[in-house]
Amino acid sequence: MSARKFAADKLLWETLRPWKRSSPELDRIQFLKTLPFFDRLSNRQLKTVSDVMFERNYDTDETVFEEGQPGAALFLILDGKIAIEICGETSTTRLAVLESGAFFGEMALLDDSPRSANARALEPTRTLALYRNDLDGLMHRHARTACQIYRSLASMIGDRLRSTNELVQMKTPADTAGLE
Amino acid sequence: MSNGQGFEEKERERKVRRRIFYLTFAALALILGGFLIWKLRILILPIIVGALMAFLFRPLKERFEVRWLPHQVQVLCSFAVIGLVLFFAFNTFRKHIPDEEQKLEFKVRLQYKLNERYRQLVAKSEGKSNAVVALLEKELGPLMDRVNHVLVLNPEERHLFLKYAAGYNGKPPIQSRFVDYFRANQTTGKYVIPETTPTGVVSSTAPAAPAPTQPPAAEEGASLESKFSAWILAPLIFLFLGFDNGQVRRFFISLVPNRYFELSLTVLDRLDEAIGRYLRGTLIECFLVGLTLTLGLILLGIPLGIAVAIGVVSGLLNAVPFLGTVIALVIGVGYALIAENVTPLIPGLNPNDLVWYVLILVVITHVLDDVVFQPFVLGSAANVHPLVVIIAIIGGALIMGLWGMLFAIPAVVVVKTAVATLFKELKDYRII
Repeated sequence: MSARKFAADKLLWETLRPWKRSSPELDRIQFLKTLPFFDRLSNRQLKTVSDVMFERNYDTDETVFEEGQPGAALFLILDGKIAIEICGETSTTRLAVLESGAFFGEMALLDDSPRSANARALEPTRTLALYRNDLDGLMHRHARTACQIYRSLASMIGDRLRSTNELVQMKTPADTAGLE
Repeated sequence: MSNGQGFEEKERERKVRRRIFYLTFAALALILGGFLIWKLRILILPIIVGALMAFLFRPLKERFEVRWLPHQVQVLCSFAVIGLVLFFAFNTFRKHIPDEEQKLEFKVRLQYKLNERYRQLVAKSEGKSNAVVALLEKELGPLMDRVNHVLVLNPEERHLFLKYAAGYNGKPPIQSRFVDYFRANQTTGKYVIPETTPTGVVSSTAPAAPAPTQPPAAEEGASLESKFSAWILAPLIFLFLGFDNGQVRRFFISLVPNRYFELSLTVLDRLDEAIGRYLRGTLIECFLVGLTLTLGLILLGIPLGIAVAIGVVSGLLNAVPFLGTVIALVIGVGYALIAENVTPLIPGLNPNDLVWYVLILVVITHVLDDVVFQPFVLGSAANVHPLVVIIAIIGGALIMGLWGMLFAIPAVVVVKTAVATLFKELKDYRII
């Protein structure tokens, strides 16, 4: 009898599992887990972060933000493509094309300094936005979670600084030689 | 025409259709919203009060946040704590709300004391020039007659007072001193003899003016019922917004077009911060004013319960600029006039001059409020020109009575902050 009940429970669980797995909230948490930004967070912490995020959908060619605007949020691409571009006086330079799993606008988590480039959707794109003040709010209510995110952000900025330094060092001898 | 051009053309048409749809929808929503607001205007005030309470309560709710407890349980716990505090505060305050007997006694004492003071004043000035006496009688006499007309007990009240004087409704008899006051009040005549009186007989119980036409009882009852059912909304709104965990904000942000997403987040946040700072600052300011008055009255020898009651009422009404001070003055001086056997805690004070001390205390509290509390607690959060304050209060009173006066300044602060923030952010985001 108990074996039959166990089998029935197992069957019910198996039936429910795919449905549960496909809930938007779980999908979002699974997605956040794959990002380096949140790789230090537990499922519970990811749920807390997911709760304060906004989902935004962009059409093809729709602007996410423009160069010079004050930054307020970090964007994560759920699916679709985003072009990061700088507009010159006569032409537009495309710096990067970001795809699902990438993020942009992370400096907005630190302050409201102006955006350094434009972000534009190249195709219908779904994003998740994390607003700076919501992250500050997490700092008060879930300090550990917010600290982990800030730590990831700091390490990413450190990596970028290192690679910029390397680029400068690689360029410097040649430039100096040219000057001489 | 190539496929690419065809697609672009279709997309353009779609954009135009979308714009027309959104505009039509927004216009319809505006018309419907306006119609509903006008028809359901009785609900506006309870909704505002409930939302304001939830807004003020939010930091407290966040303070109670425990990571391992579900959100609903945390909110329930904080509600329970606030409910308990309010229950005890209300219970304490209720003890000092005068019942029927105390109200009658208060009226008798106030009338007696006011007349006594007036007579003392006239007696003091008798030695002085005739002009002073004439001025007093000409200016203060009619005023005292009017005060007596307001304070005099009507036949029904007199009958009730006499019942209470002998012990009624399970209450001990009224002190004989106050019964003497009552008798003295009965013999108080008019200070100014009306010229038109044909017989010249002065009566202390002048016939009352015809009562204004009363609305039919059924209509009044229905109006009261609808008002009561509307006010049920306030705690409901408070409860639902108390349980809200950012869903309301997320819903409104989801309605905002992508172009204004970051802008709307920033504007909402700045507004929330500015209005929160102003409202919570006002609450703290009211508390400090109430506390100062209470402590001052205790030092003047007024019993603790009465001092707390006067402090609480004056502190709460301090939210209405100017009016708060006037009401504090009226209540404080009113009590000082009838207070007896008062022993000030500060040595050297004459209990007979209690009215003047209360007057000075209210002025000191007002100055402290202007010079210390407001700059310290509110800072520049409510930097509104005094003329705007006066116009807003009068306008609020004309539109919504006492509630209008109470909400006039917060409304001005909200509009001012909203407009300033919106313009600044629209410029920063290069939208205008």
